[in-house]
Amino acid sequence: MRSSPKRDIKFRLARRFDYESRSAALFILPVMSVLAIVAVFPILYSFYTSFFNLKLTRPHRVPFVWFDNYIKVLSDELFWASVSRTVSFTVMSVAAILVLSLSIAILLNESFRGRRLLSAIILIPWAIPTVANGLLWKWIYDSGFGALNGLLFQLGIIDSYITWLGDSDKTIPLISNSFVWKEVPLAAILILVTMKSIPEDLYRAAKVDGANVFKRFIHITIPSLKPGFMLVMIYETMMAIRHFDLFFLLTEGGPAEASHVVSWQIYVETFRNLSFGTGSAMSYILALVTFALAYFIIRTLGSKL
Amino acid sequence: MKPTTFDARSEIYRNKSQTTARLRNLSIFVFSILLLAYVLGPIAWLLSSSFQTEAEIVSVPPHWIPDEPTLKNFEAIFFSEFEEVTYDTRKKADPVSGGYIPSTAKDLLPSMWNSFLVSIAVVMLNLFVGVPAAYAMAKIRFWGRDGTIYTILTTRVIPDIALVVPFFLVIKNLGLLDHIASLIVTYLAVTVPFTVFILVSFFESLPDELDKAARVDGCSRLQTLNKVFLPLSLPSLVAVMLFAFLTSWNEFLLALMFTQTIASQTLPIIVAGFTSDFTISFSFINAAGVIAVIPPVVLAVMFERYIVSGLTAGAVKG
Amino acid sequence: MARILFDNVTKYYGAVKAVDCLDLDIHDREFLVLLGPSGCGKTTTLNMIAGLEDLSEGDIYFDDQVVNFMPPHKRDVAMVFQSYALYPHKNVYDNIGFGLKMRKYDAAETDRLVRDAAERLEISHLLQRRPSQLSGGQRQRVALGRAMVRQPSVFLMDEPLSNLDAALRISMRAEIKELHKSMQTTFVYVTHDQAEALTLADRIVVMKDGIVQQIGTPDEIYEHPKNLFVASFLGNPPINLLEGSIVVKENKTLFRKGDFTINFSAEVSEKIAQYAGHEVILGIRPEDVDEKNAAVFGQGIAGLVDTVLPMGSEQYLSMHIEGSEVFFRVGKELRHRDGDEVNLAVNINRLHVFDKRSTLNLIWA
Repeated sequence: MRSSPKRDIKFRLARRFDYESRSAALFILPVMSVLAIVAVFPILYSFYTSFFNLKLTRPHRVPFVWFDNYIKVLSDELFWASVSRTVSFTVMSVAAILVLSLSIAILLNESFRGRRLLSAIILIPWAIPTVANGLLWKWIYDSGFGALNGLLFQLGIIDSYITWLGDSDKTIPLISNSFVWKEVPLAAILILVTMKSIPEDLYRAAKVDGANVFKRFIHITIPSLKPGFMLVMIYETMMAIRHFDLFFLLTEGGPAEASHVVSWQIYVETFRNLSFGTGSAMSYILALVTFALAYFIIRTLGSKL
Repeated sequence: MKPTTFDARSEIYRNKSQTTARLRNLSIFVFSILLLAYVLGPIAWLLSSSFQTEAEIVSVPPHWIPDEPTLKNFEAIFFSEFEEVTYDTRKKADPVSGGYIPSTAKDLLPSMWNSFLVSIAVVMLNLFVGVPAAYAMAKIRFWGRDGTIYTILTTRVIPDIALVVPFFLVIKNLGLLDHIASLIVTYLAVTVPFTVFILVSFFESLPDELDKAARVDGCSRLQTLNKVFLPLSLPSLVAVMLFAFLTSWNEFLLALMFTQTIASQTLPIIVAGFTSDFTISFSFINAAGVIAVIPPVVLAVMFERYIVSGLTAGAVKG
Repeated sequence: MARILFDNVTKYYGAVKAVDCLDLDIHDREFLVLLGPSGCGKTTTLNMIAGLEDLSEGDIYFDDQVVNFMPPHKRDVAMVFQSYALYPHKNVYDNIGFGLKMRKYDAAETDRLVRDAAERLEISHLLQRRPSQLSGGQRQRVALGRAMVRQPSVFLMDEPLSNLDAALRISMRAEIKELHKSMQTTFVYVTHDQAEALTLADRIVVMKDGIVQQIGTPDEIYEHPKNLFVASFLGNPPINLLEGSIVVKENKTLFRKGDFTINFSAEVSEKIAQYAGHEVILGIRPEDVDEKNAAVFGQGIAGLVDTVLPMGSEQYLSMHIEGSEVFFRVGKELRHRDGDEVNLAVNINRLHVFDKRSTLNLIWA
């Protein structure tokens, strides 16, 4: 009674479009349409643009140039200089974030009076707008009247006021410092949350086995923190690579080219030179690199979904 | 075994553990102070300078606490729209530094209102769009489920700066340039993957049998979501609302691209406009910074509990 | 009131067949128990009745209507879950009344039904409590109340007793049986506990690896198991199994394992004489021996007792037959001690013989 092919098709259709699938489709539709218009389409469109010599200064002649934009970008010395600045910014920022957030997490994992208040307060840098973060640090670093000079001078560490952001050797580390200040709270909480999920029994067992505080930290805490650590590392790496706001707010790529990083170069190329083709190509290179990192994110986060 | 020996030994242990406890408390205290200084120091400096006069703010070395605190910077922000700004009033600048209060000071409150509208709209749309999607992904086994999740996560992996150009073209073609709708739409795309991610993790942590019980009890999928899952997910909802709000309130890059006039400019754009102008009074800029910082900080400190619990659902499993 | 029919239903999870070509006719007002080890497909079957899982092939009927892809809220079924799945944010009253509310009963009617159900389950005093304030047994009652209040035409239960402690489990069994009597509706009950199945069921469906092994009344399943799996899944302690062969000698059919032999009754001999020389497994239930009539039956098992396991009302003897360990139940008139020599008579009318290769019961299949 069931083997007629006509019935089979009807059955399969009924199965594919049953109530569950229809409700799922309905529930997913809004988010997918938003992302299709505002994310997927732009991503594909920018891929498309990256093959044209599209300059808004010359909007009527848009030749298709194959990989020329990519070749141009990759053979540009300035681009590679930007890459190396982005890399050093990322490495120093992520390293500092990891060290600081781990220390803060260890502190907040202890129980003491005022712990709750302290963990609320440390969220402040995370909550403030990057613009405020930028102006705040720009004012601190100000070579004439800033707090950094004032403090170091009053403490007798320096004899006279120093140029901070204007000194090209110090620019990247200083921007990195303001970036770290804002990123550390979230990283610390992510690590703290992982730390809290370590079963107490593990520590009890180790105590019974005679492990002291430091042994327990090395043999239990550190290995159990691996997932949280990985997450923070990957997330912060992605945030640092793409970071733009502070470079705009603090130095605008300067002095000279001292803070001319990849994200800043993309901005200059597209919105100052209005060269959308090479800008898109650069964006795509950046996106692909982040993608390689994202692969790990999806492997660690996505597999749990 | 004489009892005295035993007492003596326990005495040693007690002393030893007291010493460790004291040491522990002392180091906790020291580290807490250091942490507070690191976090609050820059903020305190911002706050202190916003209450200083132009003369005081340029003193060397700086006055950490203002000698003559003044509210004139805040007055300028809240009342400048009633003042006629002319070339002459601009000249009323501080004679010592030459820094002046910019004419755009009056834009600060309207831009704050824009920021507020955008953020609220993004929060609402996040819930409207993200909640059903997260529920479907957590509790409905449908064809293409994994693909959907990966698509959503992937969109967040691509750097914003790489999306600015195509975003710009889409917004331009939709005729939304210099309209807050452009920000609402793009911020929604930026925030919704995170919303979905957190809520999927949370919904998955609720038992499948609860879902089944509701459906056997006569709920449609939508009713199951509304009557059973939503009432149970309040903490996670607060967390995602907070994240969406803060992201929208703080966003800078996209707003820089899409907004041109005060019709759509948000707070970060107006404040950033001050910082790039060297002639503007430092104390005024700092006051503007304080204004921009207050709402998100109040929200974050108030709802700290929810942020942590929201992240717990998502992060621990990773 | 409903009859449920599975017509050649198959369910895949990816490449795994959870349920394989299931044909099942559940009668109206019957108490049917799906019994099997975990992963045998019994819960999947139950979920398919509820509409909580779709099916990959075949048809499911409620009476004459095909309900293959009808969502649960459109079916007139109620379900009790292992974890109870009470709504944590609603109090007991609202938990019980939720299904009625969703089905648009008016408030007065809902109130009456909820209070009636609570009365019957003796939880009236708990109506304002939250589930988190209840004990396991109380939660179980609320879950039952939530399901029965709607007077569904199909009542589904997924291991509802397995989270309760032993004493409570026994008394709840009686209540569930009572409930079935008074509700006059079709019950489908999933369990891995053979005792529960034997107590409650009108009919039992024994499943393994997605395939139905046997369908029958508790007596049929216990007395005439179709294969080795069914025989060994039911019974506590489990049936004793001896590997050996069938021998026909001087017109008598007998089972032999080494020096141990046992003669079959005339009736049984007739059925299995044809299998002479086959490798078989002989099954003897622990209770199918008798000490007193050893002389009468003459089919004795003599041997030394390894261990005596007194159980209060009776005692179990652990012995060895040709290297295989066996358990037998005897009364407690005679007190045995470890190392005693005993002579037990086997009830040869209740022996089971399974083909070693196909595992089918050669007597009853």
